Amino acid sequence: MDVDTLKILGVVILLAPLTGAILAGALGPKLKGNTHWVSILGVGTAFAAAICVFIHVSGVETGSVSALVPIYEWIANGTDTVFNVELLIDPLTSVMLLVVTGISLLVVIYSRDYMRDHGNPERGYERFFSFLALFVFAMCALVLGGNFLLLYLGWEAVGLCSYLLIGFYYQKPSAAAAAKKAFLVNRVGDFGFGLGILMIYLTFGSIQYEAVFDAVRVAVASGDPILQTKITIIALLLLCGACGKSAQLPLHVWLPDAMEGPSPVSALIHAATMVTAGIFMIARCGAIFAASPVAMTVVAVIGAVTALFAATIALVQTDMKRILAYSTISQLGYMFLGIGVYAADSAIFHLYTHAFFKALLFLGAGSVMHAMGGIIDVRQFGGLRKVLPWTFLTFLIGSLTLAGFPLLSGFWSKDEIIHHAFSEHWILGGIGLVTAVLTAFYTSRMFCLAFLGKERIPEGVHAHESGKWMLLPLFILAIGSIFAGLAGTGLTGKCFHGFLEPVFADTFATAGAHGAEAAGHAGEAAAHAAEAAGHAADAGFLAAYGLLILSAALAIIGILAAYFVYVRNQWFAGVMKNTAPGVYDTLLNKYYLDELYDETLVQPAKMGGKVCVGLDDYLIDGLVWIVTAVPRALAYLVRGLQAGKLQGYAVSMVAGMAILALWVFWS
Amino acid sequence: MSLGDYLIPLAPEFIMLIGACAALIVGLTQTDDRRQFVSPFALLVVLAALVATVWLGSPTAETVSPPGLWLTSLTYFARLITLVIGALIVLVNWHQPVAEERGEYMAMLLLSLLGITLTASANDLIVLFFAIELVSVPTYVIIALSRTDSRASEAAVKYFFLGAMAAAILAYGMSFLYGAAGTTTLFSLTGGAVASLWQNGADLGPQAIIGLLLVFGGLAFKVAAVPFHVYAPDVYEGAASPVTGLLGFVPKFAGFLALIKVLSALNWELPTEVFWVLWLMAAATMTLGNALALLQTSAKRILAYSSIAHTGYMLVALLVGPVAGSGPMHDGVAALLFYMAVYGAMNLGAFALLSAFRSGDRDTETLDDLAGLARRAPMAALALAVCVFSLMGFPPTAGFLGKLYIFSSAFSLDAAHPYHGAMVALAIIGVLNSAVGAAYYLRIVAAAYVREEVQEAKPTGGMPLRWGLALCAIPMLVFFAWPSRLAGEARDATASVHQSIRADQGKVTAAEHGQADLASRDVIGSDTP
Repeated sequence: MDVDTLKILGVVILLAPLTGAILAGALGPKLKGNTHWVSILGVGTAFAAAICVFIHVSGVETGSVSALVPIYEWIANGTDTVFNVELLIDPLTSVMLLVVTGISLLVVIYSRDYMRDHGNPERGYERFFSFLALFVFAMCALVLGGNFLLLYLGWEAVGLCSYLLIGFYYQKPSAAAAAKKAFLVNRVGDFGFGLGILMIYLTFGSIQYEAVFDAVRVAVASGDPILQTKITIIALLLLCGACGKSAQLPLHVWLPDAMEGPSPVSALIHAATMVTAGIFMIARCGAIFAASPVAMTVVAVIGAVTALFAATIALVQTDMKRILAYSTISQLGYMFLGIGVYAADSAIFHLYTHAFFKALLFLGAGSVMHAMGGIIDVRQFGGLRKVLPWTFLTFLIGSLTLAGFPLLSGFWSKDEIIHHAFSEHWILGGIGLVTAVLTAFYTSRMFCLAFLGKERIPEGVHAHESGKWMLLPLFILAIGSIFAGLAGTGLTGKCFHGFLEPVFADTFATAGAHGAEAAGHAGEAAAHAAEAAGHAADAGFLAAYGLLILSAALAIIGILAAYFVYVRNQWFAGVMKNTAPGVYDTLLNKYYLDELYDETLVQPAKMGGKVCVGLDDYLIDGLVWIVTAVPRALAYLVRGLQAGKLQGYAVSMVAGMAILALWVFWS
Repeated sequence: MSLGDYLIPLAPEFIMLIGACAALIVGLTQTDDRRQFVSPFALLVVLAALVATVWLGSPTAETVSPPGLWLTSLTYFARLITLVIGALIVLVNWHQPVAEERGEYMAMLLLSLLGITLTASANDLIVLFFAIELVSVPTYVIIALSRTDSRASEAAVKYFFLGAMAAAILAYGMSFLYGAAGTTTLFSLTGGAVASLWQNGADLGPQAIIGLLLVFGGLAFKVAAVPFHVYAPDVYEGAASPVTGLLGFVPKFAGFLALIKVLSALNWELPTEVFWVLWLMAAATMTLGNALALLQTSAKRILAYSSIAHTGYMLVALLVGPVAGSGPMHDGVAALLFYMAVYGAMNLGAFALLSAFRSGDRDTETLDDLAGLARRAPMAALALAVCVFSLMGFPPTAGFLGKLYIFSSAFSLDAAHPYHGAMVALAIIGVLNSAVGAAYYLRIVAAAYVREEVQEAKPTGGMPLRWGLALCAIPMLVFFAWPSRLAGEARDATASVHQSIRADQGKVTAAEHGQADLASRDVIGSDTP
């Protein structure tokens, strides 16, 4: 590939949003209500450049589709190792760039109206757009970086932007607390992530992707058990970071609270882009993860459990954005599951379709919230079909896509992951199917409560359909939700997967090959071999027809069930609630995990903090006083001699000189 | 040599000399309107000299140096950094002196900057002495002119007398060195740059050691190292803030350049006793500077004491020397030069902020004066925060990379090196000290961002000062993200140091063939006009 062109494009993708962020911050006080133009321009330029990168990468016919683009030396270390600022551009990067910059552009456009109150810019309008553009820069840096150091810098920078934007309404104590929680929970994950990168450097002596991955391949080929263990530890440490960033068990607790941020932020950062960074990272480090079967199993299990766990919580929540947040956690679980069963291309495919429909749903929820004067609890309003016709239509499309309604984009990508999960282990696939039913149910429940049935609007709220700036992104995303999935279907010859194929060809074996490998293993024991062959045949059949039809049927059943309960026979919801109050309360309180963490981690940590404060106040400060007393006493003594007088200074200089001379000649 | 042989390679220096004379004349004009032109004129002179420097480029092997000088890549680096920071100094000092004295003030500033570049090119002890005094003497005048305040006069007088004494110590030391070496030439340039003070690989006798000690003493005064630091807090506090920003950089840079010159003339092979003296000096300078800064309540005094601590960090790099490899991660001299450039800007930026506000009827000095600054002037407070974080050595600022380079160079000495352990210990002391430094630097940031306003501070100074502040702060972020150019320049600047050492190692073999005496005789001959 043409490295020079890619270099220019890469630099544009990074610098355009950064410039936008700086200008929005610097000129914001002057531009006020027009600040959004600066961000739109910056992000739009990045999007245009991302399209160019995509065209460039997809146009490659011969040779490698992966290019390491050096920008400049960052820390020169003389002759040997250097930390470079370098970009890695390959199909994975270009897909991620399109998703990130494309969704960002729509969200920035949407925010122009959303961040206004009756046409007047909200307080902190320019701050919002500055942070948003800064986020785009950070996310692009994360995606484009050609080594682990840049990945880490981008990783931390998106975390910072997330913190700043969750706490955007910092006057609200709940928003400030949510921002802090997100930051602290992510610190736990990032600690592991940082350790993982350090260990990579210590083990392989480099932090550049290609060099590390080559070293891993050599290590695997050598069969050295110590190196193998180290690779597993590295993979698990990196996974730690991914769990924090992508809100997987047990570090998922920050994401629902993060909904305190403005809705566009929830759509962009906490649904479409930043939270997928963990999936991107694992896919990028495929060589490391695929080299460790243990780590892959852990990834798959975490993904499957999280998907089911979050979907059950979403069943009973009443805050639209929280339902969507749990659904995001659940969908991210699917992606983890996909990668864990060696189907990284399917996971990235789901990431790509999910970005459309989840951004659509969050922006739609934002539109509802905007119309309801900031209220987002589905118990307080309903039947908004007539009031918000366009929002209703686009939200319907989003909901159906999330529910896995046949032929919409979410259906294809989710089905693929479940299919691959079945070929790995039937339990994983089963969890995937159960989660799919639950997803269809809770999505439809939310939709029915909000839009169908009798019209209920909170008192004193002047409900109105949103303006053009908000509807346009909704339309575009709705179209995307319907058709984006076609890129990965047989209709287009699975061109999405074909495009990504070179990236994963030598890391994640395709699921089929892996299945064959598994069968090979099974062949060692003759009794198991027959069984395994039977499974494989089952999987093959299911893959072709059965699973597709089954999951379509399940999705429709889930949707109809929700319609039956929440529109037709609303009394039934109360019956369900009352027949198993224990289950209901457990789900409503999110399995009491927040309380558990509070009791077992937060309170002891607070106690520890108090002990430390006590130590600091008495022991450390005492020590510091004693330590500083020495120079103080010295200063006092010397000052007594010289009293600020010139002669005293001169004497001390000469005395110092004499002492040094004496010391030299004495020894 | 014809006049052209002097003029062209020394074009930046001549531009500054002529500019200084012209500034004096403009300052003598009768009306204040015309005297207003002095500051823009001084900026123009500095920029013209900068253009000349870039146009000349880095001196090559073919560049013929005028007698007494050796134009090297170190000269080029010193010119670049001096003139860039010099331009910032002019911006920050734009309105500082009263109009009647602005001509003298700017002329002295230009001469002082001229002294730095000459120090970097000096190839003779006598030229070195004059060059470094050319840096110092104008600063006495600048301090006295900086404000109409008895404290400024007191500071100027103290600095002058103690400076004179330091100059005497320096000259005395140099006379010992001359006695020991038999020549005042630092490097004989015939036969490829050979260090002259270190002859034939012989051990330095007591005479040379006492000479070295005195020279280090005299230069320690310029860089404000323990035990010659005592004047610094008084003088730094007495001078007006823009001048204090200048004092943190100008004499320090010149002093370190002179130290680099002397040490490379010694082939960077220090007698053990002298090494330990410098080691002790570095450790004591860092520790004492930080400990005393902790006790202060005046932002200006904090920065004054911290400037002593920074001298300590730079001494660490100086002690490492160029032995461990090239590039600032290994080469202590390159790390020192990088740090010096960054320090010049960040230190000036912090003082520029102090001079951009007045608290009531006096200059902004204490932490109370800074309280609540972020709400009043968010951009200025941000610039202060960037500069102070950089001084602290906190990412994402260039100060972080500067400290990283210094300490990594100390760690990168070969394990077999006799001072390996000592340098690692010194680096650890340095790292601990930067942690201590964070305590008082954070108080400055906290005052500006967290505390409520105590006394209203009014903005003062014009746009040039504001630009100066911005141009000090922005590069701290830029050079963090993109340090390679500056680091590369610093690495190239040490080429002459490496060259003299390599040539000397060659000379040992040459001496075995009995040719060394011949070479040194050539030098003395060529330097006689």
